[in-house]
Amino acid sequence: MFTVGVRYCGGCNPEIDRLRIVIELQEGLREMGHQIDFTTEGERPVDAVLLVNGCKHACLEEKQVASDCGHPVISVRGEMIDDQYVEEGDIIKILIKRIRSFI
Amino acid sequence: MATMSGREYIESLRALKPEVYFLGQRIKNIVDEPMFQPHLHAAAMTYELAHHPEYEEIMTATSHLTGEKINRFTHVHHGIDDLVKKVRMMRLLGQKTGTCFQRCVGLDGLNAIYVTTYDIDQKYGTDYHERFKKYLLEVQKNDWMPAGAMTDARGDRSLRPSKQKHPDVYLHIKERLEDGIIVSGTKAHITGAINSHEIITMPTRTMTEEDRDYSVSFAIPADTKGVTFVFSRQTNDTRRLDGVLDAGNSKYGIVGGEAVIIFRDVFVPWGRVFMAGEYDFTTELVETFAGYHRSNYGGCKVGLADVVIGGSSWIAEAHGIGKASHIIDKLTEMIAMAETCWSCTLACSYEGYRTPSGAYHINPLLANVTKLNITKMVYEWMRLGQDIAGGKIITLPSEKDLDNPESGKILEECFSGKDGFSSRDIIKMLRLVENMSVGAGLPEAMHGAGSPAAQKIMIERRSGIEKKIELAETIAGIRKDRDFETIVGKDEKTHWDEVRKKIEERRVQIY
Repeated sequence: MFTVGVRYCGGCNPEIDRLRIVIELQEGLREMGHQIDFTTEGERPVDAVLLVNGCKHACLEEKQVASDCGHPVISVRGEMIDDQYVEEGDIIKILIKRIRSFI
Repeated sequence: MATMSGREYIESLRALKPEVYFLGQRIKNIVDEPMFQPHLHAAAMTYELAHHPEYEEIMTATSHLTGEKINRFTHVHHGIDDLVKKVRMMRLLGQKTGTCFQRCVGLDGLNAIYVTTYDIDQKYGTDYHERFKKYLLEVQKNDWMPAGAMTDARGDRSLRPSKQKHPDVYLHIKERLEDGIIVSGTKAHITGAINSHEIITMPTRTMTEEDRDYSVSFAIPADTKGVTFVFSRQTNDTRRLDGVLDAGNSKYGIVGGEAVIIFRDVFVPWGRVFMAGEYDFTTELVETFAGYHRSNYGGCKVGLADVVIGGSSWIAEAHGIGKASHIIDKLTEMIAMAETCWSCTLACSYEGYRTPSGAYHINPLLANVTKLNITKMVYEWMRLGQDIAGGKIITLPSEKDLDNPESGKILEECFSGKDGFSSRDIIKMLRLVENMSVGAGLPEAMHGAGSPAAQKIMIERRSGIEKKIELAETIAGIRKDRDFETIVGKDEKTHWDEVRKKIEERRVQIY
C-alpha cells in the first residue's frame, strides 16, 4: 500500500486548520478509490512525505525526518504549497492531485 | 565586485549632475553644499562600515547572483539569516549616525521588485524578472545607492489616480514606444533622493484596471533628463549654516533629507522597466515593500533610541542627578520600549518565509506591529529624553553667543554642571537630544513607511480573527473540543452531566 508520512509542525499559530486538511485529504482520496496509508510514525518507511506547516515560515522544512530523504516531499506552508500561493479552500484539491501523481 | 568606502561613495556622486533645487535656487554642486552634507555623511556610513572587519559580518553579504561579496544594501535576502542581519545592520547604523541613513528604502525596493517581478512573469509570461536581475547585477557591481520612490503626491485622495484633475500627481506612463516608455508625474518626500545614484520607482497603492498606466515600476539614473528634485525643509535645518554646535547633529543631520521628485516626459528603456500596466500586482508590490520597510523601523529607530538613552543618561549625570530614582526609572522605561521594538523586528525577521522567487520575506503581520509600535514608542522615549534633559533644550543660547567675549564667559559659567563636565560638552549633548527629540525625526517615525492607519489595515487583514473566534468558541464550549474530550476520556456532554451529578451529591452531603 502506498504510504504517506505526515509530519506536522508544532502548530503555535497556524493560519490553516492543519488537522482538518489531513482528514479531508484522506477522505477525498478514499472516495476516489485510493487505498493510501497515512502515518505520523517517523520510523516507518514511506513512499512520499507531506509536511503540514501551519504558516509560511515552515519550521518543518528546517528539520525533516531522516527516513523521509529521497522520497517526494509536498510542503504545505500555511496558504502556500511548496512555492505557490494558494487559498486555504483549495489546499485539499491540490494535494489530492499531487499525491495521485505519485501513485 | 568592489564595494565603495564612505569617501568613495561621496566622490562617486560628483559624476552625477542631477537637477536639484532648494530654497528657490538651483544647487549644482550636491557634494559640497553645506545643507546637504550631513545627509551625505549619514549615507556614507552605510558604505564605510562595510570596509571595517568588525562590522563586515552584518554589513556585507554574498550575492546570490555572482557568489561575490557585496554591500548588504544591494543584497536580495535569501534566508532567515539575511533578514536578521538586515535589521541588525539597521540598529548598528542608527547607533553610528543618530539619524536616518537613507539607503534602506532602495534596499527594500530592490527586494520587493525582485519578489513581485517573478510572480508577474509566472502569470503573464513576461520577462520582467530577468530584466530586473540584470539591473540588480549592475547595482551590486557598482555598489549603487538607489532611492526607493514609492509615495506619489496623490492630490485628492478620494479619487483614483486616473480620475485626478492633475494627472501628474501620480507617476504614470504617458506613452509606450518600441524601445521604452515615457513617464510623467510626481513622487513626494523621497528619502536620500538627491544623493542617490539611481531612482527606482514603485506604485504607491493598489491600482485598478482604469489605473493601468499608473501601475509602473522602473529604474533610472538620478540625473536622467526630465527629472527634477526639490529638496524639502526640516525643522531648524538652516542651523547647520550657523556653525557646528547649534544643529545638534552636524555630522549626520536630521532624518533622511527628503525631496520631491518631478518626472517630466522621462524616457525609460524597456530593459529598466519592471512593471508596465500589470495593475493586479500593485498590491503585492506595495505590501511586499511595506513589509520589508516597516520591519526596518524596529532596527534603525532602536539604534537612535540607544543614542538618545545614552545622551539622556549623560545629561542627568552632568546635572548631578544621575542616581535619582526618577531618572533611573525614566531611563529604564526608555530602554524597555526600545527593546520591545527590537524584539518585534527580530521576531518578524525570524518568522520570515521563502517566496516563490526564492527570496525571503519578513512576517508581514509582525512587521506591521513593529512599525505601529514605533509610531507611538518613539514619541514616548523622546518625551522622556526631553523630560530628563530639562527646559534647557529649548532655551539654549547660540554658539555665536557662546563665542562672543561679551556673553560667552558668563554663559559658560551658567551652563556648567558637575565637576568633570564642561559647559560646552553639556550644551553639545543637550543640542543632540534636542535635534533627535524635537525635530523632524518624530513625524518621520509616524509616517515613514506608511502612517499608523496603513499598519492597522494590514494587521487587521492578517490577524486571522476567524481562527481566534474558533479558539474562544472551543474553550467556551460552543464548539467541539477534541483535546478536552481526549483528556476526560468521553464526550463533553457526558462529562458535564457526570460533573453536575457529582456536584448535586456533594451539596446533599454538605447541606
